[in-house]
Amino acid sequence: MNGPLNSGKPVVPEPSPQSADAARRARTPKEPLPFGKTKQAREAEKVLNHIVDDFDDNPKAMEYFYNLFRRVYCRGETIAPDGPLIGTTCIQAPEELIYAMGATPVRLCNGSYHYDQIGAEFMPSKSCSLVKATLGMLTSENPVPRVGKLDLVVNPTTCDQKKKASAMMQDMGHAVFDLELPNVKESEASRVYWQRSVRAFAEEIRKVTSKKLTRKNLKAALARTQRAEKAFRVLDGFRKASPSIFLGKDAFLVVNAYFFDNLDIWCEAVERLNDELKIRYDNAVRAAQKKAPRIVFTGSPPIFPNLKLPLLIERAGGVVVSDETCSANRMLYDMTAVDEWLVNDMVDSLADKYLKPCTCPIFTKNDDRRRRLLELVKKFEADGIVYQAFAGCQVYEMEQRSIAKTLDENGIPMLYVETDYSPDDEGQLSTRVEAFLESIKTRKRMRH
Amino acid sequence: MNYFAGLDIGSTAIKVVFVDENGKLAGEHVTATGSLFYKNAKEAFETLLTKMALQREQVRYLIATGYGRKLFKDADDSISEITANGIGAHEAGRAFGGVGTIINIGGQDSKAIRIDSHGGVTNFVMNDKCAAGTGRFLDVAARNLEIGLEELGDYHFKAVAGPLDINSTCTVFAESEIIGLLANGHGKGEIISGIHNSIAKRTVRLAKKVGLDDRVYFDGGPALNKGLVAAIEEELGRELVVPEHPQTTTAFGAAILARSEFLAESAERRAEKVEAQAQAALVEAAKSASCGPQCGSGACGAHAG
Repeated sequence: MNGPLNSGKPVVPEPSPQSADAARRARTPKEPLPFGKTKQAREAEKVLNHIVDDFDDNPKAMEYFYNLFRRVYCRGETIAPDGPLIGTTCIQAPEELIYAMGATPVRLCNGSYHYDQIGAEFMPSKSCSLVKATLGMLTSENPVPRVGKLDLVVNPTTCDQKKKASAMMQDMGHAVFDLELPNVKESEASRVYWQRSVRAFAEEIRKVTSKKLTRKNLKAALARTQRAEKAFRVLDGFRKASPSIFLGKDAFLVVNAYFFDNLDIWCEAVERLNDELKIRYDNAVRAAQKKAPRIVFTGSPPIFPNLKLPLLIERAGGVVVSDETCSANRMLYDMTAVDEWLVNDMVDSLADKYLKPCTCPIFTKNDDRRRRLLELVKKFEADGIVYQAFAGCQVYEMEQRSIAKTLDENGIPMLYVETDYSPDDEGQLSTRVEAFLESIKTRKRMRH
Repeated sequence: MNYFAGLDIGSTAIKVVFVDENGKLAGEHVTATGSLFYKNAKEAFETLLTKMALQREQVRYLIATGYGRKLFKDADDSISEITANGIGAHEAGRAFGGVGTIINIGGQDSKAIRIDSHGGVTNFVMNDKCAAGTGRFLDVAARNLEIGLEELGDYHFKAVAGPLDINSTCTVFAESEIIGLLANGHGKGEIISGIHNSIAKRTVRLAKKVGLDDRVYFDGGPALNKGLVAAIEEELGRELVVPEHPQTTTAFGAAILARSEFLAESAERRAEKVEAQAQAALVEAAKSASCGPQCGSGACGAHAG
């Protein structure tokens, strides 16, 4: 369980008299901390304990995911990819193409406060924790997940901070491909532009893997990811149950695992979870009180270990019944609609799937996001929305106004929270979350 | 007589309020939080008991609120200070014709709350992770100027040359700005009114986010500061409703809630008792019906009584 620096004895050059001191320092082997003692491992461990121990009667099938995070985040187990490993910094990179050409994707978006602090040196003081943590993880001696050497990093050109992070990742020695994403979603020109970008991406992967994209391997890749999407949809369906039978903290963890877990093993684990939830549903096994306020989560994505806000909501007696975030729902909800099973047509359909339903605030207009939120509130019979914006994430901060207005017009209460990865505002946040849940309960009592 | 208690354990002060059976304010006590807040909270509660010559049993229900609410295990229940503040201001605001917007400045945060006609919270905002515009800000300023916290209000009205601009919104930077102004020979009155204006600006911006009602209620310790009240009124362009005891509104709300919780629970217990009796009567009736018309003798014993 030692870090990567512990490979064999360091080679010490013959000391010259002047640098004897320096040589002595160099000769003393720098013993890296056992992985379990590192800050990032302890941070992960603490959050994981909260996720598991603060709640009674977690589904048995969640054990797989709890253990997976223990192995990878707390013990530093390496991820063994099939073929070359391609890091992605956003959900807009079509993973089907990566799988088709025999490589493995790993999503690099990071949720660790420890890496956030390391990454802070690359960014202006008020910038997004997620981008800082991702950069911090990539430069850390002990990155988690243990990705090892990345053969390529694909960086979709989304928000300014992620765009500019591209050059920094290059400076760190990574091969970075900028996947060009348009600023406008609706126009035909942007659709064509994006389809061209996706084809260029396919070409880039071919260079890395030396494999051609064929009708056969793309179709097989689509089948694999569609199995995941299907499993996710079933899981999502169980969250409609009232009283709730499945908590949001576990839902976030399941999709967070998709970032780095083996695709097929992940599908099996979710299918097992679905089987168990079916039984729980039939036996009316509750995960929360009948009157627990039902919350839809939106905004900046919760990524393990930063599940601070969802955990605060559920520890205060609410339930996150659905979400509109790129670390959960947006990642797996939409499926590819293929018209013609020919390579070029399939790639275009794939491109459409990634552009059209996307509700990321980086686009100029975002009516889809408002519609989506109203739809989720209705479908999951939610009582309110919690909107998280990472301090420094301008696009989410800016979109707050229009979302608040729409929700107000529809009589849906919203709690807007500006926060980051640091734990120091937990006390204040818990007051706000509790007051919000109390006001929802009062509102519900009044209605009856 | 039964009493109900609200205990507000804030970052700076602990506030205890008792209300009587009619929900009227019966007594209150305020003390510093210090570092041993469980001990201090318990002491504050007991002090008020002694002051009012009450037995512990006479306080039938206790609700804790404020930052320390979770750790005070002697309470029957706890509630967030935002909900408690809403209820307290709603109740105290009746005398002023009802209030719809609340501005609260506490020791380490400031909030604006919007309530409906029943005192239920419909919207609220809080300052984010920063002491600017809170009671702590005033505390720091008073210390820099070497005057007591309670003197700030008087100094506000002593400004001859008009308030100075305090541009820093950060407490730490404002501190150095104040020192700079003092070094340049500016008067304390001008500096203090400048500080009050700067807090007023932030606070009103916060209040506008939840929406301004015709009557805006201002509570929390800093509402005792007449200078700050004047500055906020000027910024708002209207008069504020400042209660007689601005520091204890939240504790008062918790006490009001303690009373209604107690009544609701008693009603529930009564209803359960009535239901149990009805159930027993039903069993009796069933028994008597089961022996049928052919019985008539009364020998089965079911007809007795």
